[in-house]
Amino acid sequence: MTKLFEPSLPKLMEALASEAQGLKGMDRRNFLKGGIAAVAGLASVQIIPKANAEPNLPPNIPEWQTYLGRGVVAKPYGEPSEFEDLQRRTVPWLTADAQSSISMTPLQDLEGIITPSGLVFERYHGGIPNVNPDQHRLIIHGLVDRPIVLSMDDLRRFPSVSEIRFIECPANGGMEWRGAQMEAVQFTHGMLSCCEWTGVKLSSLLAEVGVKPEGKWILAEGADAAGMSRSIPIEKALDDALIVWGQNGEALRPEQGYPVRLLLPGWEGNTSVKWLRRLEVGDQPWHHREETSKYTDLMPDGRARRFTWVQECNSVITSPCPEKPLRHRGFLEIQGFAWSGKGKIKAVDVSFDGGVNWQRAELKGLVLDKALTRFSLQTQWNGEPWLLQSRAIDETGYVQPTLRQLRDLRGGWSIYHKNSIHTWNVTEKGEVYNVQIS
Amino acid sequence: MFRSPKCGAFTAALLMSISPVLIAGPLGIGAPATAEMIAGWDIDIRPDGQGLPPGAGSVADGEGLYEAQCASCHGLFGEGAGRWPVLAGGEGTLDTAHPEKTVGSYWPYASTLWDYIHRAMPYPAPQSLTDDEVYAITAYVLYLNDIVDDDFVLNQETFQEVKMPNEPNFYIDDRPDVVNTRCMANCADPALFEIVTTINGVTPTAHFKEDSGVAANHYGNESSGAESVKVALSDAAVAGESVHAKACNVCHGAGIAGAPVTGDAGAWTDRIAQGMSTLNKHAIEGYVGKNGVMPAKGGNMALSDDEVANAVAFMVESSQ
Ligand code: HEC
Ligand code: HEC
Repeated sequence: MTKLFEPSLPKLMEALASEAQGLKGMDRRNFLKGGIAAVAGLASVQIIPKANAEPNLPPNIPEWQTYLGRGVVAKPYGEPSEFEDLQRRTVPWLTADAQSSISMTPLQDLEGIITPSGLVFERYHGGIPNVNPDQHRLIIHGLVDRPIVLSMDDLRRFPSVSEIRFIECPANGGMEWRGAQMEAVQFTHGMLSCCEWTGVKLSSLLAEVGVKPEGKWILAEGADAAGMSRSIPIEKALDDALIVWGQNGEALRPEQGYPVRLLLPGWEGNTSVKWLRRLEVGDQPWHHREETSKYTDLMPDGRARRFTWVQECNSVITSPCPEKPLRHRGFLEIQGFAWSGKGKIKAVDVSFDGGVNWQRAELKGLVLDKALTRFSLQTQWNGEPWLLQSRAIDETGYVQPTLRQLRDLRGGWSIYHKNSIHTWNVTEKGEVYNVQIS
Repeated sequence: MFRSPKCGAFTAALLMSISPVLIAGPLGIGAPATAEMIAGWDIDIRPDGQGLPPGAGSVADGEGLYEAQCASCHGLFGEGAGRWPVLAGGEGTLDTAHPEKTVGSYWPYASTLWDYIHRAMPYPAPQSLTDDEVYAITAYVLYLNDIVDDDFVLNQETFQEVKMPNEPNFYIDDRPDVVNTRCMANCADPALFEIVTTINGVTPTAHFKEDSGVAANHYGNESSGAESVKVALSDAAVAGESVHAKACNVCHGAGIAGAPVTGDAGAWTDRIAQGMSTLNKHAIEGYVGKNGVMPAKGGNMALSDDEVANAVAFMVESSQ
């Protein structure tokens, strides 16, 4: 067991008390609940276990043990228990309609590092096409020696690989650039998922067609209503790019590009073009809409970065979080996810006082390249208010930045690539609120 | 196990064949892609004009096409109706606190506009425009952004003259830009902390709190519109349901751009009173009403008149 950590807060809370004078209305009320009451030494609320009169609890025999249960193949595919509430969710006002929209993964409900296929976040620009795999084709052409057309059957004949990789929308957290806005981890960080993907290396397909020496870029294009298209440099294509048809042990879900998609590990999700129908090799990038109008980063001076592909190192605490408040005093295991588009996670630190002091967390289970990595810190909570943060460091030595550092460089009205340290305000009642320290 | 000598030989052959074979060169999988196949799918356009097909379209031609097929969502002047994307304006805003990124203020290349309208617009009917129509509508959107004059005609040659004002302002990603260090103690001064909290009630939280009325989907807390309708439908209406889902629901599902919501009897009573033939005519040929523009066939000219009429039957029968 790791050392238990005793955060010392009086000085911080004093500072926050004076800070609170500047807050208004609802903000102030939440803040007072969170910080000042405890500092002022008001009696804290005891959390008492609920008295039980449940007929299913010991010493009674639970009702479900008194008759036979469902038999085999009652549900040939199977589904989660009816008692689970596992759902992708969206914030409807973010987009004009449901076809060009986004839904988020319930990170707060996940175990381990794999996202179940049905909970992987969705992002479409023209809805989900209903692709018949027998009639689907992938054409590879352009600056190649042997342009080919591949059926799904053909694709599966190539030597295959399986890799666990995260996918993240570069707009993940984008609503938080201007200020704290979303009241749930599902909405602040849920455009993020991690699956085992099975397919063929793009380099194998390129070897099959023979790329001409002038071939430096590849246009990947989808078979959806948006005809999603992105320019990919040949270096990435030959490095770790995959053409995948398998996801978590079965065929891709329609939401993730059935029957086949591109997967560019560690790069912004939009480049992993779904329902892939065409790869064209060329000598220049195409500068299509999703790499000019969208997915470019406007800077405060009015200029803009293009080809902002990498998802830099990021992390968030998922337990506790607004959806999973603290319900018990005493022992507590804090958990969360860290990930980096540049490789493996090297370390994660946790702060209880808004980033003044930090404590090293443990990495739990598999630590894989460009995959979600779970971290944990065992501690005690006894009703003290916290400004809880996590900070990840990846194998390149990059340290996840503070929000202030990001804003100082990139201004406050960016949309993409907000990977700053996130803060949860844990109140003395154990409620958890999304706040920003700027 | 194997009694006959034949089987023994077979086993030996099997053992030999499972030794790994290293693969070099093409595996010979797949069929050659013919020029004809490629021509059908190779729709991309590049900034240097590569990919632009023969054809032409004027700003004047583009005006009518735009008003009929695009304005219901993007506004008559590209200002954007409701929450749909704004296509024009925004010059001089990129370095302000409210940057407005439009074709004119932000997009670096005109080729992107041609390519995107051709592949993805009009939203309800992608790849339905002819090349000449795409030329004309592209010219018109450029005109709305003061990038070309009102007598401009866009074709492969004149394309080369079009310069987008914001082109020089893009540069290659230069991250990592922020350098944080792994400080462990006394890393920040709490006296300088400013705490900003969220505004309650803007995000859906009903799944874990009692105080939220915002639904976490696009359909409200209960399903609404056509989905909740449980009336006996005629054969035409049954056939029209899938047409409606594909081509009409985008506007008529939630009342976008002034469209009457399918299933909302109040919005349909007066319309139904006009009679089916008027409704069908309006749906097939398009019209401009009090609430907005109904594009011909919802913008999806690939639909037959019968399919549209079936969709109208579905809408009417679901909305009584
Ligand atoms: C039913 C509504 C609708 C109609 C009609 C429509 N569009 Fe769009 N348009 C959209 C939506 C939605 C998007 C954004 C799609 C996405 O999220 O990727 C869009 C995006 C665009 C964009 C890119 C905007 C940007 O800033 O990136 C252009 C340009 C455009 N449309 C042009 C047109 C043209 C030209 C027409 C007519 C031929 C048209 N649209 C018809 C809904 C519509
Ligand atoms: C781009 C948005 C859009 C799409 C897509 C669309 N409509 Fe409409 N529709 C409208 C608007 C707006 C109106 C209301 C116009 C008015 O009366 O002001 C309308 C009105 C109608 C009416 C009522 C006509 C009347 O005379 O009152 C019918 C019928 C109709 N649409 C059928 C369809 C069908 C069928 C489809 C699909 C094939 C479809 N619409 C697709 C926007 C759309």
